[in-house]
Amino acid sequence: MDKDTLVEELKALIIKNLKLEDIAPADIDAAAALFGGGLGLDSIDALELVVGLEKTYGIRIPDEDVGKEAFASVNALADYVLKNKK
Amino acid sequence: MSVPVALVTGGTKGIGREISRTLSRKGMRVYMNFSGDRDAAEAARQELNAETVQADVSDQEQVNAMISAIIEKEDRLDILVNNAGIIRDGLLMLMPAKNWHRVIEVNLNSVYYCSKAALRPMVANRWGRIINIISPSALMGRAGQTNYAASKGGILGFTRSLAREVARYGITVNAVSPGVIETELTSTMEEKVRREFISMIPAGRFGTPEEVARAVSFLISDEAGYITGEYLSVDGGLT
Repeated sequence: MDKDTLVEELKALIIKNLKLEDIAPADIDAAAALFGGGLGLDSIDALELVVGLEKTYGIRIPDEDVGKEAFASVNALADYVLKNKK
Repeated sequence: MSVPVALVTGGTKGIGREISRTLSRKGMRVYMNFSGDRDAAEAARQELNAETVQADVSDQEQVNAMISAIIEKEDRLDILVNNAGIIRDGLLMLMPAKNWHRVIEVNLNSVYYCSKAALRPMVANRWGRIINIISPSALMGRAGQTNYAASKGGILGFTRSLAREVARYGITVNAVSPGVIETELTSTMEEKVRREFISMIPAGRFGTPEEVARAVSFLISDEAGYITGEYLSVDGGLT
């Protein structure tokens, strides 16, 4: 899968998993911070995404050091998924 | 919802065994953790219609392996009862470091290891229950139990904090504080010591493991779904 497709897929996953009903994929800036940024998401929301990514892509985010890297932005998350996908 | 799956640490003896029995009777699939006593574990397995799983809960690798195996098999883990605990009583001024560290490792570190490993399936299912067994020592202190009281008091702070982290996922985290409960330990007490203890308890008697298990069972039920970050004393008025 190429990265652009994955970025769109991840945006959809984020909207679905975090129940962001008022937000469209185009509203998410792939380069912006996912948590603590404009989407109004906090670190506790990240737990939902941790299990969602595990279910969908089989990637495991074991601790907060990895989490910080992976959740820096949708772009960063796409890179992380491409690198670790099973 | 399919059959809920529960893990009870230290679940083959004493209060833990009674908790296992109660959950099993309610139709849950119960895994009773034990550390060393295989005979007691086998007896509990046969009697209580529950599975046994061996692990030293003070060892994170063993805990992770135990919980992964349960999730692998059941594809879920809904309920965790952190019950395993030890005492190494002694006055602080004379307490060897190993007795301090061992009690913290087994009673408190285990709660971190087990809860951390058990949370992922609970978050994924948006439902979960964590019950931590504490003690009056955590609430009122007890001479000779600085290590034990510190571990149990630590668990109470852990309970309140984790409750705030996972409440939005339908997971509640609560503590149960059993007072003096009739177990093997109290049955060997001298009559004089026994009377002394009873004189401190407003209810005028020791509690039973069943009474503790019923409190755990209540906090696990859907009726208690809006209770989180709390502790429930089952101590006949002691604290």
